[in-house]
Amino acid sequence: MGLLTNLKDSISRVTDGLFAADEPKRIGIYGPPNAGKTTLANRIARDWTGDAVGPESHIPHETRRARRKENVEIERNGRKVTIDIVDTPGVTTKVDYKEFLDHDMEKDDAIRRSREATEGVAEAMHWLREDVDGVIYVLDSTTDPFTQVNTMLIGIIESQDLPALILANKTDLPGSDVQQIANAFPQHETIPLSALEGENMDEVYTKIAEYFG
Amino acid sequence: MPHQCTTCGRTFPDGSKEMLSGCPDCGGNKFQFKPAGETIDADETTDAGETTDAGETTDAGETTDESAGSVTDTPDSESPRPDSQPPEAQTPNAQAQESKTPDAQKTDSEHIRDRTQEDIAQASARSDVVSPDELDQASRDVESDSPTGSDPDSSGDPEGPRPDIDDLRDELNEQFESIRIVSPGKYELNLMELYDRQEYIISLQEDGRYVIEMPDAWGISDE
Ligand SMILES: Nc1nc2c(ncn2[C@@H]2O[C@H](COP(=O)(O)OP(=O)(O)OP(=O)(O)O)[C@@H](O)[C@H]2O)c(=O)[nH]1
Ligand SMILES: [Mg+2]
Repeated sequence: MGLLTNLKDSISRVTDGLFAADEPKRIGIYGPPNAGKTTLANRIARDWTGDAVGPESHIPHETRRARRKENVEIERNGRKVTIDIVDTPGVTTKVDYKEFLDHDMEKDDAIRRSREATEGVAEAMHWLREDVDGVIYVLDSTTDPFTQVNTMLIGIIESQDLPALILANKTDLPGSDVQQIANAFPQHETIPLSALEGENMDEVYTKIAEYFG
Repeated sequence: MPHQCTTCGRTFPDGSKEMLSGCPDCGGNKFQFKPAGETIDADETTDAGETTDAGETTDAGETTDESAGSVTDTPDSESPRPDSQPPEAQTPNAQAQESKTPDAQKTDSEHIRDRTQEDIAQASARSDVVSPDELDQASRDVESDSPTGSDPDSSGDPEGPRPDIDDLRDELNEQFESIRIVSPGKYELNLMELYDRQEYIISLQEDGRYVIEMPDAWGISDE
Protein backbone atom coordinates (compact mmCIF):
# COMPACT_ATOMS: atom_id res chain seq x y z
CA MET A 1 0.00 0.00 0.00
CA GLY A 2 1.11 3.55 -0.57
CA LEU A 3 3.25 5.55 1.70
CA LEU A 4 0.44 7.93 2.26
CA THR A 5 -1.59 5.25 3.92
CA ASN A 6 1.30 4.26 6.09
CA LEU A 7 2.01 7.82 7.06
CA LYS A 8 -1.61 8.43 7.77
CA ASP A 9 -1.74 5.31 9.87
CA SER A 10 1.22 6.27 11.95
CA ILE A 11 -0.03 9.80 12.35
CA SER A 12 -3.37 8.59 13.56
CA ARG A 13 -1.66 6.14 15.86
CA VAL A 14 0.27 8.98 17.39
CA THR A 15 -2.80 11.14 17.83
CA ASP A 16 -4.73 8.15 19.11
CA GLY A 17 -2.11 7.78 21.77
CA LEU A 18 -2.23 11.43 22.69
CA PHE A 19 -5.94 11.65 23.00
CA ALA A 20 -6.72 8.17 24.11
CA ALA A 21 -7.72 9.25 27.57
CA ASP A 22 -10.33 11.72 26.36
CA GLU A 23 -11.64 10.03 23.27
CA PRO A 24 -14.85 8.17 23.83
CA LYS A 25 -14.82 4.61 22.54
CA ARG A 26 -16.74 4.13 19.36
CA ILE A 27 -19.20 1.29 19.72
CA GLY A 28 -20.75 -0.22 16.61
CA ILE A 29 -24.22 -1.71 16.87
CA TYR A 30 -24.17 -4.62 14.49
CA GLY A 31 -26.46 -7.45 13.52
CA PRO A 32 -28.74 -8.77 10.82
CA PRO A 33 -31.54 -6.63 9.37
CA ASN A 34 -34.58 -6.05 11.54
CA ALA A 35 -32.94 -7.25 14.76
CA GLY A 36 -33.74 -4.00 16.52
CA LYS A 37 -30.40 -2.19 16.25
CA THR A 38 -31.91 1.21 15.62
CA THR A 39 -34.54 0.69 18.28
CA LEU A 40 -31.75 -0.04 20.75
CA ALA A 41 -29.60 2.88 19.54
CA ASN A 42 -32.56 5.20 19.90
CA ARG A 43 -33.32 3.95 23.36
CA ILE A 44 -29.74 4.40 24.52
CA ALA A 45 -29.54 7.85 22.96
CA ARG A 46 -32.91 8.93 24.33
CA ASP A 47 -32.14 7.65 27.81
CA TRP A 48 -28.86 9.51 28.08
CA THR A 49 -29.00 12.42 25.64
CA GLY A 50 -32.67 12.95 24.87
CA ASP A 51 -32.16 12.60 21.09
CA ALA A 52 -32.90 9.80 18.69
CA VAL A 53 -30.50 8.25 16.22
CA GLY A 54 -32.66 7.24 13.28
CA PRO A 55 -35.92 5.80 12.03
CA GLU A 56 -37.02 2.29 13.04
CA SER A 57 -39.12 0.16 10.77
CA HIS A 58 -40.54 -3.33 10.45
CA ILE A 59 -39.34 -3.27 6.84
CA PRO A 60 -35.80 -4.70 6.69
CA HIS A 61 -32.91 -2.47 5.68
CA GLU A 62 -34.45 0.65 7.10
CA THR A 63 -30.98 1.81 8.10
CA ARG A 64 -28.86 2.11 4.98
CA ARG A 65 -26.17 4.50 6.14
CA ALA A 66 -24.26 4.21 9.38
CA ARG A 67 -25.35 6.82 11.87
CA ARG A 68 -23.44 8.05 14.82
CA LYS A 69 -24.45 9.58 18.08
CA GLU A 70 -21.47 11.05 19.84
CA ASN A 71 -20.65 11.56 23.48
CA VAL A 72 -23.31 9.47 25.06
CA GLU A 73 -22.57 9.62 28.76
CA ILE A 74 -23.76 6.60 30.64
CA GLU A 75 -23.65 6.66 34.42
CA ARG A 76 -23.30 3.43 36.32
CA ASN A 77 -22.58 3.04 40.01
CA GLY A 78 -21.31 6.58 40.30
CA ARG A 79 -18.96 6.11 37.36
CA LYS A 80 -19.36 7.88 34.04
CA VAL A 81 -18.65 6.15 30.75
CA THR A 82 -18.69 8.12 27.52
CA ILE A 83 -19.18 6.33 24.22
CA ASP A 84 -20.03 7.14 20.63
CA ILE A 85 -22.66 4.82 19.32
CA VAL A 86 -22.78 3.90 15.66
CA ASP A 87 -25.98 2.37 14.37
CA THR A 88 -25.10 0.37 11.27
CA PRO A 89 -27.13 -1.08 8.42
CA GLY A 90 -28.20 -4.69 8.89
CA VAL A 91 -25.69 -7.12 7.45
CA THR A 92 -26.79 -9.82 5.06
CA THR A 93 -25.35 -11.87 2.20
CA LYS A 94 -28.33 -11.44 -0.13
CA VAL A 95 -30.47 -8.47 -0.97
CA ASP A 96 -33.46 -8.90 -3.22
CA TYR A 97 -35.84 -6.07 -4.03
CA LYS A 98 -38.69 -8.60 -4.19
CA GLU A 99 -38.74 -8.88 -0.42
CA PHE A 100 -39.71 -5.22 -0.25
CA LEU A 101 -42.60 -5.64 -2.64
CA ASP A 102 -44.46 -7.47 0.13
CA HIS A 103 -44.28 -4.27 2.10
CA ASP A 104 -46.39 -2.37 -0.34
CA MET A 105 -43.56 -0.72 -2.13
CA GLU A 106 -43.37 0.23 -5.79
CA LYS A 107 -40.89 -1.72 -7.84
CA ASP A 108 -38.74 1.34 -8.48
CA ASP A 109 -38.54 2.11 -4.80
CA ALA A 110 -37.85 -1.50 -3.93
CA ILE A 111 -34.98 -1.67 -6.40
CA ARG A 112 -33.53 1.53 -5.08
CA ARG A 113 -33.90 0.35 -1.50
CA SER A 114 -32.07 -2.87 -2.30
CA ARG A 115 -29.24 -1.01 -3.94
CA GLU A 116 -28.92 1.29 -0.96
CA ALA A 117 -29.12 -1.66 1.37
CA THR A 118 -26.25 -3.30 -0.47
CA GLU A 119 -24.20 -0.14 -0.20
CA GLY A 120 -25.15 -0.06 3.46
CA VAL A 121 -23.74 -3.52 4.07
CA ALA A 122 -20.52 -2.50 2.36
CA GLU A 123 -20.35 0.52 4.62
CA ALA A 124 -21.07 -1.49 7.73
CA MET A 125 -18.30 -3.94 6.88
CA HIS A 126 -15.97 -1.08 6.20
CA TRP A 127 -16.57 0.47 9.59
CA LEU A 128 -16.13 -2.84 11.28
CA ARG A 129 -12.69 -3.05 9.79
CA GLU A 130 -11.62 0.53 10.25
CA ASP A 131 -13.36 2.28 12.91
CA VAL A 132 -15.01 0.68 15.87
CA ASP A 133 -13.53 -0.01 19.28
CA GLY A 134 -16.23 -2.35 20.43
CA VAL A 135 -19.37 -4.06 19.20
CA ILE A 136 -22.88 -4.52 20.48
CA TYR A 137 -24.26 -7.41 18.48
CA VAL A 138 -28.04 -7.41 18.35
CA LEU A 139 -30.04 -10.51 17.51
CA ASP A 140 -33.76 -11.06 17.27
CA SER A 141 -34.26 -13.84 19.80
CA THR A 142 -37.30 -15.15 17.94
CA THR A 143 -35.15 -16.16 14.98
CA ASP A 144 -32.49 -18.81 14.46
CA PRO A 145 -29.07 -17.44 15.44
CA PHE A 146 -27.13 -20.10 13.53
CA THR A 147 -26.68 -18.17 10.33
CA GLN A 148 -23.73 -17.59 8.07
CA VAL A 149 -23.89 -13.85 8.68
CA ASN A 150 -23.80 -14.18 12.45
CA THR A 151 -21.00 -16.70 12.39
CA MET A 152 -18.94 -14.62 10.03
CA LEU A 153 -19.43 -11.33 11.84
CA ILE A 154 -18.79 -12.76 15.28
CA GLY A 155 -15.72 -14.44 13.80
CA ILE A 156 -14.42 -11.15 12.46
CA ILE A 157 -15.12 -9.40 15.74
CA GLU A 158 -13.24 -12.09 17.62
CA SER A 159 -10.33 -12.04 15.20
CA GLN A 160 -10.00 -8.32 15.85
CA ASP A 161 -10.16 -8.80 19.59
CA LEU A 162 -12.93 -6.29 19.87
CA PRO A 163 -14.91 -6.35 23.09
CA ALA A 164 -18.36 -7.59 22.18
CA LEU A 165 -21.70 -7.85 23.91
CA ILE A 166 -24.37 -10.07 22.45
CA LEU A 167 -27.91 -8.90 23.00
CA ALA A 168 -30.88 -11.22 22.64
CA ASN A 169 -33.57 -8.73 21.69
CA LYS A 170 -37.36 -8.91 21.51
CA THR A 171 -37.80 -10.91 24.71
CA ASP A 172 -41.30 -9.48 24.91
CA LEU A 173 -42.38 -11.70 22.02
CA PRO A 174 -43.78 -15.17 22.69
CA GLY A 175 -41.31 -16.98 20.40
CA SER A 176 -38.26 -15.52 22.11
CA ASP A 177 -35.51 -18.04 22.85
CA VAL A 178 -32.58 -16.46 24.64
CA GLN A 179 -30.95 -19.76 25.48
CA GLN A 180 -30.57 -20.63 21.82
CA ILE A 181 -28.49 -17.52 21.32
CA ALA A 182 -26.41 -18.26 24.38
CA ASN A 183 -25.79 -21.73 22.98
CA ALA A 184 -24.82 -20.39 19.59
CA PHE A 185 -22.14 -18.12 21.03
CA PRO A 186 -21.03 -19.72 24.28
CA GLN A 187 -17.78 -17.77 24.30
CA HIS A 188 -19.70 -14.54 24.82
CA GLU A 189 -22.06 -13.21 27.38
CA THR A 190 -25.64 -13.00 26.14
CA ILE A 191 -27.94 -10.40 27.63
CA PRO A 192 -31.69 -10.59 27.09
CA LEU A 193 -33.66 -7.42 26.51
CA SER A 194 -36.58 -5.83 24.82
CA ALA A 195 -35.35 -2.65 23.21
CA LEU A 196 -38.89 -1.79 22.28
CA GLU A 197 -40.34 -2.16 25.76
CA GLY A 198 -37.21 -1.10 27.57
CA GLU A 199 -37.00 -4.35 29.50
CA ASN A 200 -33.70 -5.18 31.19
CA MET A 201 -32.01 -2.00 30.03
CA ASP A 202 -30.39 -1.63 33.44
CA GLU A 203 -28.35 -4.74 32.90
CA VAL A 204 -27.53 -3.62 29.36
CA TYR A 205 -26.12 -0.33 30.64
CA THR A 206 -24.18 -2.04 33.37
CA LYS A 207 -22.59 -4.34 30.82
CA ILE A 208 -21.88 -1.49 28.43
CA ALA A 209 -20.06 0.33 31.20
CA GLU A 210 -18.19 -2.80 32.12
CA TYR A 211 -17.17 -3.75 28.59
CA PHE A 212 -16.57 -0.38 26.98
CA GLY A 213 -15.75 1.92 29.85
CA MET B 1 -9.85 -1.68 -13.43
CA PRO B 2 -10.11 1.70 -15.05
CA HIS B 3 -11.02 4.36 -12.56
CA GLN B 4 -11.15 8.08 -12.70
CA CYS B 5 -10.62 10.54 -9.90
CA THR B 6 -13.86 12.45 -9.54
CA THR B 7 -12.01 15.55 -8.43
CA CYS B 8 -9.33 16.13 -11.03
CA GLY B 9 -10.24 13.60 -13.67
CA ARG B 10 -7.04 11.64 -13.57
CA THR B 11 -7.51 8.07 -14.69
CA PHE B 12 -5.94 4.94 -13.31
CA PRO B 13 -5.26 1.73 -15.18
CA ASP B 14 -6.53 -1.67 -14.38
CA GLY B 15 -5.80 -2.70 -10.83
CA SER B 16 -3.83 0.41 -10.02
CA LYS B 17 -2.72 0.49 -6.42
CA GLU B 18 -1.96 4.17 -6.60
CA MET B 19 -5.45 5.29 -5.91
CA LEU B 20 -5.56 3.32 -2.70
CA SER B 21 -3.77 6.12 -0.98
CA GLY B 22 -5.68 8.88 -2.66
CA CYS B 23 -5.18 10.50 -6.01
CA PRO B 24 -1.47 11.34 -6.35
CA ASP B 25 -2.35 14.51 -8.21
CA CYS B 26 -5.01 16.14 -6.18
CA GLY B 27 -5.34 13.99 -3.08
CA GLY B 28 -8.96 13.27 -3.87
CA ASN B 29 -10.32 10.04 -2.56
CA LYS B 30 -13.33 9.38 -4.71
CA PHE B 31 -13.01 7.41 -7.88
CA GLN B 32 -15.50 6.55 -10.51
CA PHE B 33 -15.32 3.13 -12.02
CA LYS B 34 -15.35 3.30 -15.78
CA PRO B 35 -16.50 0.22 -17.62
CA ALA B 36 -14.04 -0.77 -20.28
CA GLY B 37 -16.61 -0.64 -23.04
CA GLU B 38 -16.73 3.10 -22.97
CA THR B 39 -13.23 3.93 -21.91
CA ILE B 40 -10.21 5.58 -22.45
CA ASP B 41 -8.08 3.45 -24.63
CA ALA B 42 -5.56 2.56 -22.04
CA ASP B 43 -2.95 5.23 -22.41
CA GLU B 44 -3.22 5.69 -18.71
CA THR B 45 -0.26 7.91 -18.25
CA THR B 46 -1.63 10.66 -20.40
CA ASP B 47 -3.49 13.30 -18.64
CA ALA B 48 -6.97 12.16 -17.94
CA GLY B 49 -8.50 15.45 -18.80
CA GLU B 50 -8.18 15.14 -22.52
CA THR B 51 -9.49 11.68 -22.94
CA THR B 52 -12.31 11.83 -20.53
CA ASP B 53 -13.62 15.32 -20.94
CA ALA B 54 -14.70 14.17 -24.33
CA GLY B 55 -18.04 13.11 -23.06
CA GLU B 56 -18.20 9.74 -21.47
CA THR B 57 -17.83 11.03 -17.96
CA THR B 58 -21.43 12.07 -18.10
CA ASP B 59 -22.66 10.67 -14.84
CA ALA B 60 -19.53 11.36 -12.93
CA GLY B 61 -19.37 14.84 -14.30
CA GLU B 62 -22.84 15.72 -13.31
CA THR B 63 -22.81 14.29 -9.89
CA THR B 64 -19.45 15.43 -8.79
CA ASP B 65 -19.66 18.98 -10.01
CA GLU B 66 -20.14 20.17 -6.52
CA SER B 67 -17.23 18.46 -4.93
CA ALA B 68 -15.02 19.29 -7.86
CA GLY B 69 -16.06 22.89 -7.47
CA SER B 70 -15.21 23.10 -3.85
CA VAL B 71 -11.95 21.31 -4.25
CA THR B 72 -10.67 23.77 -6.83
CA ASP B 73 -10.55 26.30 -4.03
CA THR B 74 -7.59 24.47 -2.62
CA PRO B 75 -4.63 26.83 -2.83
CA ASP B 76 -2.34 24.14 -4.08
CA SER B 77 -2.26 24.15 -7.83
CA GLU B 78 -1.21 20.65 -8.53
CA SER B 79 -4.43 19.79 -10.20
CA PRO B 80 -3.63 18.87 -13.74
CA ARG B 81 -4.60 20.83 -16.75
CA PRO B 82 -4.89 19.06 -20.04
CA ASP B 83 -2.77 21.64 -21.79
CA SER B 84 -0.09 22.08 -19.20
CA GLN B 85 3.08 20.17 -18.58
CA PRO B 86 2.17 17.12 -16.55
CA PRO B 87 3.42 17.47 -13.00
CA GLU B 88 6.28 15.30 -11.96
CA ALA B 89 4.19 12.81 -10.09
CA GLN B 90 2.41 11.94 -13.26
CA THR B 91 5.27 10.72 -15.32
CA PRO B 92 5.34 6.97 -15.75
CA ASN B 93 8.65 6.97 -14.01
CA ALA B 94 7.39 8.59 -10.89
CA GLN B 95 4.52 6.22 -10.83
CA ALA B 96 6.78 3.25 -11.01
CA GLN B 97 8.90 4.50 -8.16
CA GLU B 98 5.93 5.64 -6.27
CA SER B 99 6.52 4.00 -2.98
CA LYS B 100 10.25 3.68 -3.04
CA THR B 101 12.06 6.94 -3.39
CA PRO B 102 12.43 9.61 -0.77
CA ASP B 103 11.07 11.98 -3.37
CA ALA B 104 7.86 10.11 -3.49
CA GLN B 105 7.67 10.28 0.24
CA LYS B 106 7.97 14.01 0.17
CA THR B 107 5.25 14.26 -2.39
CA ASP B 108 3.05 12.03 -0.38
CA SER B 109 3.40 13.97 2.79
CA GLU B 110 2.51 17.11 0.94
CA HIS B 111 -0.62 15.43 -0.13
CA ILE B 112 -1.53 14.79 3.44
CA ARG B 113 -1.56 18.45 4.05
CA ASP B 114 -3.75 19.04 1.05
CA ARG B 115 -6.04 16.30 2.06
CA THR B 116 -6.96 17.78 5.37
CA GLN B 117 -8.59 20.65 3.59
CA GLU B 118 -10.04 18.57 0.88
CA ASP B 119 -11.41 15.93 3.10
CA ILE B 120 -13.85 18.37 4.50
CA ALA B 121 -15.19 19.07 1.09
CA GLN B 122 -15.08 15.41 0.26
CA ALA B 123 -16.90 14.46 3.37
CA SER B 124 -19.57 17.05 2.96
CA ALA B 125 -19.99 16.21 -0.66
CA ARG B 126 -20.17 12.53 0.00
CA SER B 127 -23.88 12.28 0.16
CA ASP B 128 -24.15 14.25 -3.04
CA VAL B 129 -22.16 11.91 -5.15
CA VAL B 130 -25.09 10.07 -6.51
CA SER B 131 -28.42 11.66 -6.07
CA PRO B 132 -31.53 9.58 -5.49
CA ASP B 133 -32.73 10.92 -8.81
CA GLU B 134 -29.78 9.51 -10.54
CA LEU B 135 -30.16 6.18 -8.86
CA ASP B 136 -33.70 6.28 -10.03
CA GLN B 137 -32.54 7.11 -13.47
CA ALA B 138 -30.07 4.28 -13.40
CA SER B 139 -32.66 1.73 -12.52
CA ARG B 140 -35.07 3.04 -15.10
CA ASP B 141 -32.37 2.81 -17.69
CA VAL B 142 -31.90 -0.80 -16.91
CA GLU B 143 -35.54 -1.62 -17.17
CA SER B 144 -36.50 0.37 -20.20
CA ASP B 145 -33.34 0.72 -22.20
CA SER B 146 -32.56 -2.48 -23.87
CA PRO B 147 -29.28 -1.41 -25.29
CA THR B 148 -28.61 -1.98 -28.94
CA GLY B 149 -24.96 -2.77 -29.32
CA SER B 150 -22.35 -0.31 -28.35
CA ASP B 151 -20.21 2.21 -30.02
CA PRO B 152 -17.35 3.11 -27.76
CA ASP B 153 -16.37 5.96 -30.03
CA SER B 154 -19.59 7.83 -29.80
CA SER B 155 -18.93 10.61 -27.40
CA GLY B 156 -20.36 13.91 -26.45
CA ASP B 157 -23.88 12.62 -26.07
CA PRO B 158 -24.64 11.89 -22.43
CA GLU B 159 -27.65 9.78 -23.35
CA GLY B 160 -25.83 8.00 -26.13
CA PRO B 161 -25.86 4.27 -26.67
CA ARG B 162 -24.51 2.26 -23.79
CA PRO B 163 -22.38 -0.83 -23.97
CA ASP B 164 -24.24 -4.03 -23.48
CA ILE B 165 -25.55 -4.11 -19.98
CA ASP B 166 -24.92 -7.79 -19.40
CA ASP B 167 -21.33 -7.48 -20.45
CA LEU B 168 -20.90 -4.60 -18.10
CA ARG B 169 -22.47 -6.47 -15.28
CA ASP B 170 -20.25 -9.46 -15.89
CA GLU B 171 -17.26 -7.24 -15.97
CA LEU B 172 -18.18 -5.53 -12.74
CA ASN B 173 -18.81 -8.86 -11.09
CA GLU B 174 -15.46 -10.13 -12.13
CA GLN B 175 -13.59 -7.09 -10.98
CA PHE B 176 -15.52 -6.47 -7.88
CA GLU B 177 -16.02 -9.86 -6.47
CA SER B 178 -17.30 -8.58 -3.16
CA ILE B 179 -20.68 -7.72 -4.63
CA ARG B 180 -22.41 -9.69 -7.30
CA ILE B 181 -25.21 -8.03 -9.20
CA VAL B 182 -27.49 -10.92 -9.99
CA SER B 183 -30.05 -8.76 -11.74
CA PRO B 184 -31.33 -5.24 -11.18
CA GLY B 185 -32.19 -4.94 -7.50
CA LYS B 186 -30.73 -8.33 -6.66
CA TYR B 187 -27.35 -8.56 -5.01
CA GLU B 188 -25.15 -11.15 -3.43
CA LEU B 189 -22.52 -9.99 -1.03
CA ASN B 190 -19.27 -11.56 -0.05
CA LEU B 191 -18.86 -10.23 3.46
CA MET B 192 -15.29 -11.40 3.84
CA GLU B 193 -14.27 -9.59 0.67
CA LEU B 194 -16.08 -6.46 1.71
CA TYR B 195 -14.42 -6.60 5.05
CA ASP B 196 -10.99 -7.14 3.56
CA ARG B 197 -11.18 -4.28 1.13
CA GLN B 198 -9.60 -1.09 2.15
CA GLU B 199 -11.88 1.02 0.06
CA TYR B 200 -15.61 0.71 0.12
CA ILE B 201 -18.26 1.31 -2.40
CA ILE B 202 -20.44 4.24 -1.87
CA SER B 203 -22.67 3.90 -4.83
CA LEU B 204 -23.63 1.20 -7.20
CA GLN B 205 -25.22 1.94 -10.48
CA GLU B 206 -26.87 -0.61 -12.64
CA ASP B 207 -25.06 0.41 -15.76
CA GLY B 208 -21.90 -1.12 -14.38
CA ARG B 209 -20.50 1.98 -12.80
CA TYR B 210 -19.86 2.53 -9.20
CA VAL B 211 -18.22 5.23 -7.22
CA ILE B 212 -15.88 4.11 -4.52
CA GLU B 213 -14.41 6.05 -1.73
CA MET B 214 -11.09 5.57 -0.07
CA PRO B 215 -10.89 5.60 3.68
CA ASP B 216 -10.32 8.99 5.15
CA ALA B 217 -10.25 10.59 8.51
CA TRP B 218 -13.78 11.82 8.33
CA GLY B 219 -16.45 9.74 9.83
CA ILE B 220 -19.86 8.67 8.99
CA SER B 221 -22.55 11.21 8.52
CA ASP B 222 -23.97 11.97 11.89
CA GLU B 223 -26.84 14.22 11.09
N1 LIG C 1 -41.58 -6.83 19.83
C1 LIG C 1 -40.41 -6.18 19.67
N2 LIG C 1 -40.16 -5.56 18.52
C2 LIG C 1 -38.98 -4.90 18.40
C3 LIG C 1 -38.02 -4.86 19.44
N3 LIG C 1 -36.95 -4.14 19.01
C4 LIG C 1 -37.24 -3.76 17.75
N4 LIG C 1 -38.46 -4.21 17.38
C5 LIG C 1 -39.13 -4.00 16.09
O1 LIG C 1 -38.40 -4.65 15.07
C6 LIG C 1 -38.47 -3.90 13.86
C7 LIG C 1 -37.06 -3.58 13.41
O2 LIG C 1 -36.46 -2.70 14.32
P1 LIG C 1 -35.24 -1.76 13.89
O3 LIG C 1 -34.74 -1.14 15.14
O4 LIG C 1 -35.65 -0.86 12.79
O5 LIG C 1 -34.27 -2.88 13.35
P2 LIG C 1 -32.79 -2.71 12.76
O6 LIG C 1 -31.98 -3.81 13.32
O7 LIG C 1 -32.31 -1.33 12.97
O8 LIG C 1 -33.06 -3.00 11.22
P3 LIG C 1 -32.24 -2.50 9.91
O9 LIG C 1 -31.97 -1.06 10.07
O10 LIG C 1 -33.19 -2.78 8.82
O11 LIG C 1 -31.04 -3.35 9.83
C8 LIG C 1 -39.29 -2.66 14.19
O12 LIG C 1 -40.61 -2.89 13.79
C9 LIG C 1 -39.19 -2.54 15.70
O13 LIG C 1 -40.29 -1.91 16.28
C10 LIG C 1 -38.35 -5.53 20.67
O14 LIG C 1 -37.59 -5.54 21.64
N5 LIG C 1 -39.55 -6.18 20.72
MG1 LIG D 1 -31.79 0.12 11.67
